[in-house]
Amino acid sequence: MIEIKGLSIQLGDFSLSDINLEVQDREYFVILGPTGAGKTVLIECIAGLRHIQKGEVWLGGVNVTRLPPEERGIGYVPQDYVLFPFLNVAQNIAFGLRRGKRPRQEIADRVDQLSRLLGISSLLERSPRSLSGGEKQRVALARALAPSPRLLLLDEPLSSLDQQTSKRLRLELRRIHQDTGIATVHITHNQAEAEELAGRIAVINRGRIEQVGSPADVFFYPGNQAVSDFIGAPNILECHCCEKLGKGLVEVKCGDLSIVLPHDGRPVRRIALSPRDVYVSDVEPPGPHDVNRFKGIVTGIRLFGASVRVEVSAGSERLLAEMPYDVYEDMDLDIGKEVYLILKLRRIRVHEDKAAR
Amino acid sequence: MRTLLKAIAGERAFKAATAGALALLSLFFLGIILSILSYTNWDAFIEALLSPEILFAVRLSFVTATIATALSLLVAVPVAYTISQHSFKGKDLVDSLLDLPIVVSPVALGAALLVFFNTPLGSAIEGRPLSFVFAVPGIVLAQFTIISALAVRLLKSTFDNIDTRYEQVGRTLGYSKAEVFFKVTIPLARNGLIASAILTWARAIGEFGATVTLAGATPLKTETLPAAIALSLSTANIEKAIAVVLILIIIAIAALMTIRKAVGRRTPI
Repeated sequence: MIEIKGLSIQLGDFSLSDINLEVQDREYFVILGPTGAGKTVLIECIAGLRHIQKGEVWLGGVNVTRLPPEERGIGYVPQDYVLFPFLNVAQNIAFGLRRGKRPRQEIADRVDQLSRLLGISSLLERSPRSLSGGEKQRVALARALAPSPRLLLLDEPLSSLDQQTSKRLRLELRRIHQDTGIATVHITHNQAEAEELAGRIAVINRGRIEQVGSPADVFFYPGNQAVSDFIGAPNILECHCCEKLGKGLVEVKCGDLSIVLPHDGRPVRRIALSPRDVYVSDVEPPGPHDVNRFKGIVTGIRLFGASVRVEVSAGSERLLAEMPYDVYEDMDLDIGKEVYLILKLRRIRVHEDKAAR
Repeated sequence: MRTLLKAIAGERAFKAATAGALALLSLFFLGIILSILSYTNWDAFIEALLSPEILFAVRLSFVTATIATALSLLVAVPVAYTISQHSFKGKDLVDSLLDLPIVVSPVALGAALLVFFNTPLGSAIEGRPLSFVFAVPGIVLAQFTIISALAVRLLKSTFDNIDTRYEQVGRTLGYSKAEVFFKVTIPLARNGLIASAILTWARAIGEFGATVTLAGATPLKTETLPAAIALSLSTANIEKAIAVVLILIIIAIAALMTIRKAVGRRTPI
C-alpha cells in the first residue's frame, strides 16, 4: 500500500533521516514514539503536506512524491480534529464529497452510512463547537473516510480524550478498520494503544525508525536500548518449562526462578514486567505464600527522574525495580544488601511460543 | 504585615489611576458629543440636512466610499493573505511600504498623487478615460490610497489567526490550493472580512486630507461630507457644519454596532 524509501527532511534543528517503511493493504500500522520524535512530520510527509528533501513515497504502486495532497487519495485526521467551525456536522462529513459532480442523493446516502458506522446519526445538525471530544473525533473520522480514501492517517487520535472515551474509541477504531479494511497509519506515544490496535508497530525516536515489528516483537525483543527505554525498560526473562496449575494459572521457570502467572494457552517463551511492577522490601514480607517472591542482592542503584531504579540479582536473573524516591529513602538500601522482590502477578506480560524467532 | 498593607495600598492606587484614566477619556468623548447636541438648533439641523448641497454630499460620500472599499478589499485580500502565509525575500520591506499610507499624513499623500498626475506617466493616464484631478474618480482614488493599507493591516491579522491546518485538511479532502482558499479560508475569515470592510468603509467616509488635495471641494461636484464641514465652517455656517458632524457621528456609531453584531455571534472553536 505505502512504501517509504529513504525519506529525509530537515526542519531547523529537527530532521527525519532515511526513513524506510512499508505498510500492507488492510494493515493497521502504528508509529510509536515519544513526543518530538518526528511522528507528525512523518505523517505530514505521507499526506503530501510537506515537501521532502530526499526519498520517495509510493502509494498503491504509484510514486506520489511530487503529487499535491489533493491527488493522493488520503484520509487525514489531524490532532485536535480541526473540524470546520462554519459547517455543521453533516456538512463537515460531506465536505470531501462536494467536490466534483456527485448527485445530492449519493452524498446524503454516504453521510448517512458513515454517521451510522460511527454512531453519530443524532449529531448531524449540530455545530462542531457543541460536541464533546469523543464526538468530534468521530466526526473527523467520518469526514476523512467519506471520499473512500485508499489510506487513513490518524495523528494521535486518542491522546486528548479522557481515559474512558479513549478506551471506547480504541475498540471503535478496531471495528471500523475491520469493517472498511482500509490501510491505516496511526501515530501515538501511548504504548497500550499501540499494543491493542497495531498489526505492526514502528518505533520512532529522534527522527529515526528504531524498530519495526509485531507488538510482541517490539515488547519482548526490543531491538536496542532506545526502544527498550521507551517501552519502560521492562524486565524480560527467557522461560522454559511450563506447568499448568489450574484456575488459569501456570508456573514457569525463568532461570532458577519459578514464577506463577495467569495464562491459558501455548507454552510461555518469554515474560516481561515493567520495573514499576517489581516491589522491593528490606524485610521478609508477611503472609504464608512465597509465590512470586524472591530473595536477592542489590547490585545497582541509580536515580531515574523522580524515582530510583534498583537492580537486584535473584538467583540466575537480574531484575530492575523502580520506586519513588521517598520510598527508597525510607528503605536504606545499599549495594550488597539482601532484599525481597515481589512481582505484581497481574502485570506480567506473556509471549507465547508461536511467534518464535 | 506592614509590607502587605503597603502592597495592598499600592495595588489600589494603581487600579484607581487606570480606572480614572478610563473614566476621564470616556467623559471627554461623551462631553464632546453632548456639547454638539446641546448646541444644535434642531429646526436648522433639519433644514441643513435636507438642503440639496448636503444631500449631494451624503450621496457622493456613500457612493465613493463604497466603491473605494470594494476596490481596496479586492486588492487587500490577496495581498494580506500572501504576507500572512508566505515568507519571501524582502518581505519586511514590502510590509513597511504597505504601512506607509497609514503613517504618512493624508494631505501629503493627496499632494503626492496630485504631483503624480503632473508627471509624464500621470498625464498619460489622466483623462483616459477617467479624470482624477479635481474630479469624482479622484475622490475614489484618494480614499482607496488611504484605506487599502488599512485593509491590508486588518486582513493580515485575520489571516494570521487562521490555523493553516484547516487548509491542510481541505487539501487532503481533494481540494486544490485555490479551491481551499475560497471554500475554507474565506469562510473562516468571514468575521474579519466583515469587520475590515466596515472599518475601511467608515475610514473612507471620513477621509478628508488626501481627497480635498487631489479632488478639491467644489459644492455639488466633489464635496464629500468632511469637505462640507470645512466649507460650512469657512463660511461661518455653524448649523450646517454641526448637521454634517452629527451625520458622521451617526454613521460611525452605526458602523461600530454593525461590527459588534456581525462579529460577536461567532467565536473561534
